[in-house]
Amino acid sequence: MKRTLTVLALALGLSSAAPAAAADPIKIGLLAPLTGSWASEGQEMKRNVELQTAEANARGGLLGRPVELVVEDDGGDPRTASLAAQRLTTSGVVAVIGTYGSAVTEATQNILDEAGVIQVANGSTAVRLTEKGLQHFFRTCPRDDEQGRVGASLIQKVKASRVALLHDNSAYSKGLADEIDALLKARNVNVVFFDALTPKEQDYSAILTKLKAAGPDVVFFTGYYPEAGLLLKQKRQMGWTVPFLGGDAINNPDLVKIAGKEAAQGFRFLSPPIPSDLDTPEARAYVAAYQKKYGEAPSSIYGVLAGDGFRVIARAIEATKSVKADALRDYLVGGLKDFPGYTGKISFNAKGDRVGELYRVYQVDAEGRFQLQP
Amino acid sequence: MQFFEQLVNGLAVGSIYALIALGYTMVYGVLKLINFAHGDLFTYGAYLGMTLLASLALQDRLGVGLGLLLLALMVMGLVAVIGVVLERVAYRPVRNSPRLSAVVSALGASVFLQNALMLIYGARYQVFPDLLPQTALDIFGLHVPLLRIAVVLISVAMMAVLVLFVQRTRLGAAIRATAIDPSAAQLMGIDVNRVIRLVFVIGPALGGAAGLLVGLTYGQISFTMGWIYGMKAFTAAILGGIGNIPGAMVGGLLLGVVEALGAAYLSVAWKDAIAFLVLILILIVRPSGLLGERVADKV
Repeated sequence: MKRTLTVLALALGLSSAAPAAAADPIKIGLLAPLTGSWASEGQEMKRNVELQTAEANARGGLLGRPVELVVEDDGGDPRTASLAAQRLTTSGVVAVIGTYGSAVTEATQNILDEAGVIQVANGSTAVRLTEKGLQHFFRTCPRDDEQGRVGASLIQKVKASRVALLHDNSAYSKGLADEIDALLKARNVNVVFFDALTPKEQDYSAILTKLKAAGPDVVFFTGYYPEAGLLLKQKRQMGWTVPFLGGDAINNPDLVKIAGKEAAQGFRFLSPPIPSDLDTPEARAYVAAYQKKYGEAPSSIYGVLAGDGFRVIARAIEATKSVKADALRDYLVGGLKDFPGYTGKISFNAKGDRVGELYRVYQVDAEGRFQLQP
Repeated sequence: MQFFEQLVNGLAVGSIYALIALGYTMVYGVLKLINFAHGDLFTYGAYLGMTLLASLALQDRLGVGLGLLLLALMVMGLVAVIGVVLERVAYRPVRNSPRLSAVVSALGASVFLQNALMLIYGARYQVFPDLLPQTALDIFGLHVPLLRIAVVLISVAMMAVLVLFVQRTRLGAAIRATAIDPSAAQLMGIDVNRVIRLVFVIGPALGGAAGLLVGLTYGQISFTMGWIYGMKAFTAAILGGIGNIPGAMVGGLLLGVVEALGAAYLSVAWKDAIAFLVLILILIVRPSGLLGERVADKV
C-alpha cells in the first residue's frame, strides 16, 4: 500500500512538473467540416494541418514554444460553425485555419474578427467575404470573380456560340455562374441555358435531357465533383457528346472514380495548381512526407491550401516574434512577399485576398489523370 | 420527344422512391411510427452491396446475372437482420411510451447508423464497379438507357410480389389485421410481436434492395445518401396515403414523374418545390393521401 502511494506521488509529481518544464504552447485552431456532406474535404484539411503541426514541432516549435492544434468540427453548417468559432476564441487560439464552404466561413468571420483572432480560410471563394473591411481575415484560395474571368476566357477559347451554365444553388456555385454569365453577356456570347440542379441526388437524367434539348455547344458546371462525376457518367449513358467544363470545386481524383475513365476523358476544369505540378523541391518533399504518413498523396487541393494557411501563420509568428493579431496582420499584408507555398507563391493584398494569377486549366486524359494545360 | 424521355427518367427515379416508401408505410401501418432510420437502411443496402461485390466476386464465379441475383438476396437478408435488430433495440422498448419518444428514438437510430457507416468506410464517396452494360435503346427516336427500364421492371416486380403476399397469404392477413387494430388482432390469436418483426424484415429488405439498385445504376454512393432518398420516399408515402401499400407505390412513381416533368417544363432549380407544391395540393383535396382511406375518429 505504501509503495503504491509512493509510485502515485511520483507519477503525480512528474506529470505536474512536465508542463512547467516546457514553454506554454502556441495554440492554433482548425475549423473544418469533419462530419456532414463535406466530411471528406474536412478530413483532408485536418490531415494536412496535423502534418504541418507535427513538422513545426519537430523543428522545435515556434519562438521556442510548442504548437498545439485545436480542432473544431463545423459540420459544413453555418450554425454549428458559429458555435465552433466561439469555442475556439475561448480556448485561446492565436489564429484559425479554415473553413471550407463560403457560407460556413461567413458565419464565423465576425466572431473571430471581434475576438482578435487571425482567420485564414482555405476554400471559401465567395467574393463578398473580403469586401467587408475585416482586419483579420485572409484566404489562401482565390476569389470567384477571378475564376469567373478565367472561366469566361476558357469558354471563348473553345469557340462556343451556345453556352449552357449549370450551378447547384450554393453560394459559391451560383456566384461563379453569375460571374461567368455576366461576362459572357457583356461579350455577346449566347447563354442558352442557366439553371440549377439539386446537389446530393443520384439521378440527373431529367436535367441532362433538358440541357440536351437546349442544344448547347458547351456546358459549364460550377458545382462540386460528386455531381460533376454523375453528370459526366449519365451524359455518356445518354450517348450525348457535348464537352463539359467545370470550376475549381471539381478538382478531386474521386471525380474520375465516380464518372469512370471513359466518361471523364476530355473534361476540363479550372483549379489552382495541384501539388504534384509544382516543380519546387519543397512541394515535392511535402507530397512525399504526406504519402509516407497517410499512405496516399493529398487528393484535395483545399486540404493543401489549409496546410498553406498554417504555414503563412507560422511564418508570420516567426518573423514578427509575436502572437498579437495586429502584428501578424501587418506582416501578412505588408511583409509577406512571394512566400513559397505548396500551391504556388503566396502574397496578400490589404483586403486579405491572395494576389496573383492562380488558376490553371486541367484536362482529364484517357488514363483518368489531371493534365495541366499550357 | 423530350416528354417521353422525361417520363422514363421520372419512372426510374420514382420506382426507387416507391421501394423505399413501402418500408415507411408498412411500419407506419402496424406501429403508427415513422421509422426515420429507414433511409439509412437503404444506404446500408448500397454499402453492403458494394462490399460483397468486391469481396465475394460472385459475378465472376457465377456470371453477372446469377451472381447479382444471389448478391441481391444476401443484401436483402443482411439489411433485414439490421432492421429486426433496430426494432428490438430502438423501438420495442419505447412501444408503449408516448409517441414522441419513439420519434426521438428513430432519429437517434438514424444518426447512429449514418455515423457508424462513416467511421467504417470513411467520409469519401464510394464507387461501385461498372458491371452492367451502359447501352441504350433507340425506339422511334427515343433514347432510353436499358438500365433505367430494368430498374423500373425490377421494382414493379418486387412490389407485385409484396402485394400478392399481403393480400393472399395468412401472414399477409395477419399484417393487415394488426394494422387495423393491434389489440383486437392479439385477441384473435395473432402474435403481434411476430407480425412487427416480419414488417421489419420486409421493409428493410426492400429498402436494401433499392440501395443496391441505386448503387448498381448510378455507381456513386455516400453515407449521407439515405437522407435525401428517405425524405423523398417519406413524401411519396404521405402522397399515396401513409399506411397504404399500393398508395406508397403510386405515390413514389407519381413523385418521380412530377419531379422530372417539373424540371423539364418549368425549372430544374425549382423541381423539388414543384413536387412539394403538388403534394400540398393533393393533401388539401384528399387529406389522407391519394389512396388513403378516410377513417372516422375513434370515440
